[in-house]
Amino acid sequence: MMLARVADSLYWIGRYVERAEHISRLSDVMLTATLDQNDAAVVVAQVALASIGGDEDEIEGVGYDAVHSLVFERDNQGSVGTSLARARENARQVRDQITTEMWERLNMLYLRVTDPRAEDAFNSHSSAFLNEIIADLHLFKGAADATMSHGEGWRFLLLGVYLERAQLIARLLEVCFGDRAAAKPLNDYRTQMSVLRMACALEPYLRIYTAEIQPQRMLEFLLFDEDFPRSIRFSTERIEEHLTSLARRDQYYEGAEPDRLAARLSARLKFADMDDEAQGAGPLLAAVVSECSRIHHAIYETFVAYPLEERLPA
Amino acid sequence: MKAVGSSANVAQTQNSPTSLFPADAFYSPGRSYDEMFAADGAVRDHYAALQARMTTLSPTELADRQRTLEHSFLLQGITFTVYGAEATTERIIPTDLFPRIIPAAEWAKIEAGLTQRVKALNLFLTDIYGEQKILADGVAPRELILGAPSYRREMRGLFVPHNTYVNVSGADLIRDEAGEFAVLEDNLRVPSGVSYMLANREAAKRTFPGTYRTANVRPVERYPDLLLATLKSLVADWRPNPQVVVMTPGVYNSAYYEHAYLARLMGTPLVEGRDLLVHDNMVYMRTTVGLRRVDVIYRRVDDDFIDPLTFRRDSGLGSAGLFNAYRAGNVVIANAPGTGVADDKAVYAYTPEIIRYYLSEEPILPIIETFLCREPKQLSHVLANLDKFVVKAVGASGGYGMLVGPHATAAERAEFADRIKADPENYIAQPTIQLSTAPCLVDGRIEPRHIDLRPFVLAGQRVVVTPGALTRVALKRGSLVVNSSQGGGSKDTWVLAEGNVAP
Repeated sequence: MMLARVADSLYWIGRYVERAEHISRLSDVMLTATLDQNDAAVVVAQVALASIGGDEDEIEGVGYDAVHSLVFERDNQGSVGTSLARARENARQVRDQITTEMWERLNMLYLRVTDPRAEDAFNSHSSAFLNEIIADLHLFKGAADATMSHGEGWRFLLLGVYLERAQLIARLLEVCFGDRAAAKPLNDYRTQMSVLRMACALEPYLRIYTAEIQPQRMLEFLLFDEDFPRSIRFSTERIEEHLTSLARRDQYYEGAEPDRLAARLSARLKFADMDDEAQGAGPLLAAVVSECSRIHHAIYETFVAYPLEERLPA
Repeated sequence: MKAVGSSANVAQTQNSPTSLFPADAFYSPGRSYDEMFAADGAVRDHYAALQARMTTLSPTELADRQRTLEHSFLLQGITFTVYGAEATTERIIPTDLFPRIIPAAEWAKIEAGLTQRVKALNLFLTDIYGEQKILADGVAPRELILGAPSYRREMRGLFVPHNTYVNVSGADLIRDEAGEFAVLEDNLRVPSGVSYMLANREAAKRTFPGTYRTANVRPVERYPDLLLATLKSLVADWRPNPQVVVMTPGVYNSAYYEHAYLARLMGTPLVEGRDLLVHDNMVYMRTTVGLRRVDVIYRRVDDDFIDPLTFRRDSGLGSAGLFNAYRAGNVVIANAPGTGVADDKAVYAYTPEIIRYYLSEEPILPIIETFLCREPKQLSHVLANLDKFVVKAVGASGGYGMLVGPHATAAERAEFADRIKADPENYIAQPTIQLSTAPCLVDGRIEPRHIDLRPFVLAGQRVVVTPGALTRVALKRGSLVVNSSQGGGSKDTWVLAEGNVAP
C-alpha cells in the first residue's frame, strides 16, 4: 500500500531515468559514427534521430549540434537534461520513499549535468561525459536494486523503466525494420554495429551470433531474446511479472486490465514465430508500441487515477 | 584555560582583541555575552576541548572542512529553492562547522522552563477555547485574545486529546548581555528547523569526531521516534494501529526537505492535500490499492490553508471537509488549529501572568520586556524611544515587517512611526537585546556572530524537551536577525550530559 501519487512519481522516475540513459547512448553512438566521414554516419544519425521522434529531413550537417541539443536543450522535451531534471523533481517529491543512496546518486548527477560548467566538459570530452552519465544511471539503478525494498514502490519504478525501454527499443527497430524502413537497408557493417550499440547489444549479440552480423538476426535478437535485458521480450516479461505482483495486493482489483494486457503482449513475443510474420516485423513492432501505451493507461486507471466512486466505503 | 595566541598564552581582556589563531584573525565579541569566552578573555570550561582542537587547525584545513560540510548538505538536498526568471537555483542554508555548547546545568533550567511554558500555554488554550475563566478573571484582556486574527472561533468547545493543543513547538531563546536565557517567541504553529538540528549533528560528528566523543553530548537522534510516539498518543484507544501521516504544502515549500525528512525517519506517508479525501467525516488517503483511513495528521500547513470549506476558500493545499472530520473526532490534527493565538506577539506579553494563573508557579524563564502599542501610554513611550526598540508587527513572522531601531536610519524610523500610529494594535516593541555571540568561520576567519537557540518540545501524554536545538546564526557582522529568510545560517548545538565538567 502506498500513496497513488507516490506510485505515479516512482513510475515516472523509472521512465525518465531509462529515457536519459537511452538518449545518452544514442548521442554517444552518433558522435562516434561521425568521426568517420562517410555515408554510414549519416544513416546512423538518421536512424537515431528518427527513432526518438526527431525530424530526419532536417539533419543535413548531423553531428555535434544535434547531439548538443539532445543532451542539454531544456526546450527539447526529450533531452537528457530535461529527463534528468524531471526524474530528480519526481524523486524530490517522493524523497521519503526512496533510499538516501538512490537520492544522492540522482541528485549528484542532476547537479553535474545542470552545472554551467557541464557544457565545457561536454565540449572537451563528449564521449567521456556521456558515458559518465550512463554509468551514473547504472549506479542509480544498482542502488535501487541493492538498497530499496523490492516491494510495491520498487515495482512501480521498474515498470516505468521496462515500459520505457520496450517502447524505445521498439521504435528503434521500427525505424530499421518497420514498414517505413525500406529506404534505408541495414547492409553496411558499420551501421549494423552502431544500431546494436544504440541498444547496448553489441557484445551480447556477438557472443551468440559471432561477428557475422545479419539484419534478420539483429531483429530477432532484440525482439525475442529471452535473456538479454534490452530485448523487447525480456522487458515485457518483466512488465508482466511486476504487474502480476502488484495486482495481488489490490483487494478491489477486478478488471485485471493491466496484467491481462501485459501477459497477452508478453505471450505474443514469447511464442512468436518469425516465419509467420510474413509481412515483416512492422505490425508486430507497431503492436508493441501501442500495447505498451495501453498498459500505461491501464496502470493509471487501476492504481493512480481510479474513479473514487468505486472505492468509497459503503 | 586562557585563549591561545600565536606564540604564547596571553590573558586578554575584551578591550584588546583576543587572538585565537596564528593567522591574523582577531576575535572580539564586543559587549555581548560570548558563548566561548568569558569577559576576561578566558575560555569557558565547557568550550576548552573544542578550543584546543580549533587552535590546531590551520585556516586551510578549516576551509576544507567547511567545504566538505557544505558539499554534504548539497548532496543530501538539504536546500531551499530560489526561484529566478530564467532558472531556479538551490542553495543550502549556510552551516557553520563549530558547534555551540551548552553545559548541563544551564540546559536543566531551559528544559524546566520550556516544559512549564508548554504546559501553561496548553492550559491557556484549553481555557480560551472552553470556559474562558482567564478572561472572566480579567488576567488577560478579552478583546486582545478573542480579537486576535489567530483566534479560531471554530475551535470553541471542541474535544482535543489530552487537552494538548500544542504538540510540537520550537521556542526561540536568546541570551542577554548578562548571559541569562530568555524566551523571545514560543512558535506554537508549525515551527521548522528540526531537520537542520539533526543534519547539523550528523555533520558535526564528522567534522569534530574526537571532540564529540569525549564531550559526552546528549543525543538528539531519537527525535523522529519521539515525535511518532507523541502523535500516536493522541489517538483514541479503539484505533490500535493508527495511521499517521505528515501533511506538506508540497515540494515548492521552503521547508519541504524537512517534511520529507521527518516522514522518512518516522516511516509515515508524506501526503499533500490532494492525496486526502474526506467522506462521511472520515479522512482517507488515495493509495494504489484504494482508499485508506487516516488517523493522525501531523500537518505542516498553516491553519488558514488546511480546509477550504472552513478556512481560506482559495486554498489549494488543504482537503475539503477536513475540519468537519476533526470536529467529529475522527481524525487528529497536530498541532490543533488555533494555537497561533497563544504565540501572538501581543499575547506574549501576558505569558508570565498566564503561567502564574494556571500553574501557581513563577516563570522559570523570563520573557523580553514587551510594550504593547495598543496601550496609549506604552505607545507614546515606544514612539519617543524608537531608536532603542525593536518593533514587530503582531501578525508577521520570519523577520518580515520589523524595525530594528538602533540599526535604522532616521528616515526609516519616521516612516515606521507613521505605520505604527496608523495601526497601533498591530505592533509591539521590545528593547534591543544584544544576542549572545559564538565563534563562526566567516570568509576563512573566525569571528563572533550573534546567535539564538531553538529547542524543540513535544507534548502528548507527557512533555519532552529534545536535548539539543537549532542554533541560528546571523551571518552579517553585528546583525541581530537570524531568520534563514533574511540570510541567517545555523550550527550544531551540543547539550552536555550531567556530571560533565570539562571534557
